[in-house]
Amino acid sequence: MAGRGRPGRAGAALVIAMGTLAAACAAPGSNSPQPAATSASPQAAAPTCGTAPITMTGYFETGFPLPKALTTEFSKQHPNVTWNIREDQFAVITQNAPRVLADNPPDLMRLPQVSELVKDDLLKNLDGYAQSFGWDRWPASQLEQLRLGPGGRPRGEGSLYALGLNVSMTGVFYNKKLATQIGMSAPPATLAEFDAVLAKAKSAGITPIVQFNGGATGGLAFPLQNLMASYGPPGPINDWIFQKPGATIDTPPNLQAVQHLERWIKAGYFEKDVNAVDYATMMSRFIDGQGLFTFNGDWESGNLDKQMAGNVGFMLMPSAQEGGKPATMSAPLTFGIAASAKNADCAAFFLNWVATDQRAREIGVEVGGSRPMGPADAYMPEVASDTVTASTLAAGADLAEADGAMDFIANATGAIYAKSWTPNLQKLVAGQQTPQELLKAVQADYASQIEGS
Amino acid sequence: MITAWREAWTGRALLVLMMAVTILPFLSLFVTALHPSGTYPPGLAWPSDPQWGNFGKAFEAANMGELLKSSALIVLGVVPISILLGTMAGFAIGHLRVVGSRVLFVLFVLGLTLPFEGIITPLYYQIRDMGLLNTRWAIILPLIGLFMPFSVFWMRAHFVNMPGELSESARMDGANVWQLFRRIHVPLAMPAISSLGILLFLWTWNQFLLAIVLVDDPAKRTMSGALGAFQGQWGTDIPLLCAGSLLILTPTLAVFLIFQRHFVKALLQGSLKG
Amino acid sequence: MTARPAGVRSSHRRPAKRRSLVGWLFVLPALAFYAVFVLRPIALTFQYSLYEWDGIGPSTWAGPANYGKVFTDPDLFDSLVNAFQLIVFFSAVPVALGLAAAATIRRIAASRLALVARTVLFLPQVIPLVAAGIAWSWLLASTGVINQLLELVGLGGITRAWLGDFSTALPAVGMIGAWVLLGLCTLLLLAGMSKIDPSLYEAARLDGAGAWREFVSITVPSLRQEIAVCVTVTVIAALASFDIIYISTQGGPGNTTMVPGLQIYYLAFSEREVGTASALAMVLMVLVIACAFPIQWFAKDGER
Repeated sequence: MAGRGRPGRAGAALVIAMGTLAAACAAPGSNSPQPAATSASPQAAAPTCGTAPITMTGYFETGFPLPKALTTEFSKQHPNVTWNIREDQFAVITQNAPRVLADNPPDLMRLPQVSELVKDDLLKNLDGYAQSFGWDRWPASQLEQLRLGPGGRPRGEGSLYALGLNVSMTGVFYNKKLATQIGMSAPPATLAEFDAVLAKAKSAGITPIVQFNGGATGGLAFPLQNLMASYGPPGPINDWIFQKPGATIDTPPNLQAVQHLERWIKAGYFEKDVNAVDYATMMSRFIDGQGLFTFNGDWESGNLDKQMAGNVGFMLMPSAQEGGKPATMSAPLTFGIAASAKNADCAAFFLNWVATDQRAREIGVEVGGSRPMGPADAYMPEVASDTVTASTLAAGADLAEADGAMDFIANATGAIYAKSWTPNLQKLVAGQQTPQELLKAVQADYASQIEGS
Repeated sequence: MITAWREAWTGRALLVLMMAVTILPFLSLFVTALHPSGTYPPGLAWPSDPQWGNFGKAFEAANMGELLKSSALIVLGVVPISILLGTMAGFAIGHLRVVGSRVLFVLFVLGLTLPFEGIITPLYYQIRDMGLLNTRWAIILPLIGLFMPFSVFWMRAHFVNMPGELSESARMDGANVWQLFRRIHVPLAMPAISSLGILLFLWTWNQFLLAIVLVDDPAKRTMSGALGAFQGQWGTDIPLLCAGSLLILTPTLAVFLIFQRHFVKALLQGSLKG
Repeated sequence: MTARPAGVRSSHRRPAKRRSLVGWLFVLPALAFYAVFVLRPIALTFQYSLYEWDGIGPSTWAGPANYGKVFTDPDLFDSLVNAFQLIVFFSAVPVALGLAAAATIRRIAASRLALVARTVLFLPQVIPLVAAGIAWSWLLASTGVINQLLELVGLGGITRAWLGDFSTALPAVGMIGAWVLLGLCTLLLLAGMSKIDPSLYEAARLDGAGAWREFVSITVPSLRQEIAVCVTVTVIAALASFDIIYISTQGGPGNTTMVPGLQIYYLAFSEREVGTASALAMVLMVLVIACAFPIQWFAKDGER
């Protein structure tokens, strides 16, 4: 080896390299721009999209045609507006939400759980728009889940940070042909009757429930929360989801619900490979007639009416007690505007249009299958009475009457679904988690996530 | 003789088996891609009515034209600059042996095995602060840096074996260092440079993590990152997803088949030295 | 180096010094890119790892607490354990199978078939890992080809959704990695074998050594360096795995396939625990270096 450097000089390379590193000395976050807190500025006249050409950026969920159907119709009515839409699966949106909103703000975005987004001032406060468009005169229950206190806690009251494209609701779809085959003439009225039907299907060689629980999406949360609603009142569950102080998921009725779910798993009421089934696979299996029941939401009503016309029914989850009030997950299909969105006014105008335009409301029901949001006396499209869309809309009305709506347990915190419910439910399926420990584990994660945020 | 014959045939059988296993996933993608879009075809079953149109549909759905352009732009940004800078540095460290070249060399070698996940978080904030998020520069610039250890390492290995007399005689003729580099050493280094180019092309084209973290718009990503987005968007339609995956891996396959001799050699050497 | 008269040497001293400065100009651009996009982020990762930061708001000093979390929080620690388990599949399987395959194939190295094989076995190296992940997720699904084949050979009883089963998900992901790396290892070892002096084998034959003795006492020791390379490349691939798992299982079911790379991504960008993510990143980087360099040194020393 020739030309070896003398030790004194040899360090020069490092010195230069270190020089560039020295820039990294301030604590992280101390110099990053803080988005200005968005306060509600009262609007004189309701904003519009104007007449100049405008390109709206959207970030929507894969596999759900409603938002795109609406934006297409909107551009038809307002030709100056074009849309640049990116799509991802919901789990990915959940992961990306904070940094997309902060660093690459879309005008309109399908939102996951909003508490932490509000805490970090990533979402536009919509109070001003609510005033100028008159959203505050809509039935209050529609907007309850979208209101947040200062700093994002608790949810259920405070300023408005998002709006729904409609109000979706979950329950149990069933295959009518298979139901007749095992002698189920009417939907079961109690949980015990439901159990009996499931057992009958099982012994008839029919998969009783097709559900998804694979990858990052623990779909057994659907039957679980429905079972929770069968055993107990929705209030405490809602408090937990809304992060009210002292709320816990580890309650006796919820334990009964998890135990019931575990009995279903052990009895083989779900598909054997449920831990590897994703949402799309579940849908294709149910449509293909490979199972009697599936727990899902009315966003599939339109789709099911098309693909299984006349062969699909819907029921709300029966209560454990006879004559118990129905309760289930029901939430707006949440869309929001980034705090620093370029075209916030147009986005707000679009959201208002979705709720009030006649054609938009028709699309909402036909494509989306759920009740549109908006004033109580707004135009309601006609739906053929023999469709499952009609039964879900009717069930939605029953639910509203019984005040049985609650948000989804997966929406309690930003990470609770992927980090806690999904792995724990997958473990429950594999026999590696007990009901008691499952609730304890979820509650512990919840506590640390709330404390950490 | 009999043992030799038997050995040859077990060798052959083993080889065929390994090739079959290697091909199987491609075959499955291909057969599945021909099923009607939206269905869940079970296993390997030739469809009764092959949907060749799925490839056209996927081409459009994946926006392949844009993707090809984007990946090509990224490769054009990364590969020439990495080669130029890597060759220059390798020349200085391996041949000129500048003062401190040992320390420099060790410094670069330390980065040789770096897992990209290790620095992806600060890289995100750095790129954001540079205002480059969501542009192709967000992939190009970090990749040049991340490929630098290997490029320098690779080119140094070449230059270390170049006899010093070569330069001495050129210097006698009055050539300065740049001329020496440009006229004498770069032409001699062409085999090493082209192997490096092939490896860098492949690694850039297939880069996934940087693409999904730093660029949201699939049309500005690498092929691999775009495939990730395509799965996000069309993951619910298996035949279309399979058709799209095949389309997206076709360009690398094509380049590979054209330059296969070079490719295999480069990859083998690349891992031996790396 | 040839000896030179002292006068010549001293007359070259000044230009040599200048050459060194010019030489530095040659290194500088490479160094700049490396410093800005690799060294600085490494330093920042270390710095972040000492803070608690959600990536948006202000940060608070946390000292070594994040490192404590990496080793005590079962979710984080298990991801490291999983990565080491993946080594068995990413590393041991391709190297062992590759050795066996190469030893057998060597005899027909010149045939047409072997030439075709060189091309075919390389395909997995060339395609994006993402595509491998998509293809294999489909093969390993409950209605996939693997189960179809198993049923064909009368093993219908063990069919399952391989990526959704707690006991098989990690091995299944590992097999995808083995598929990607097997061809590379086989060809590397094959190339190494062609360099072994044939007279060694002849001598062994004369001594009456069987194929196995030959393999153990000649082939394997001569391939020391190639084996070390295979092990290094595959061990790094296992520890730093991301693409395949991101596509095929997202770490599930129940975290059984969670690996540090994916955990860092989730922690940093979805759970926004940048400090914890960075601590895990530091641990991962140190582990990779701690695994890679000894293997390399071991091989180099053996050679000299």
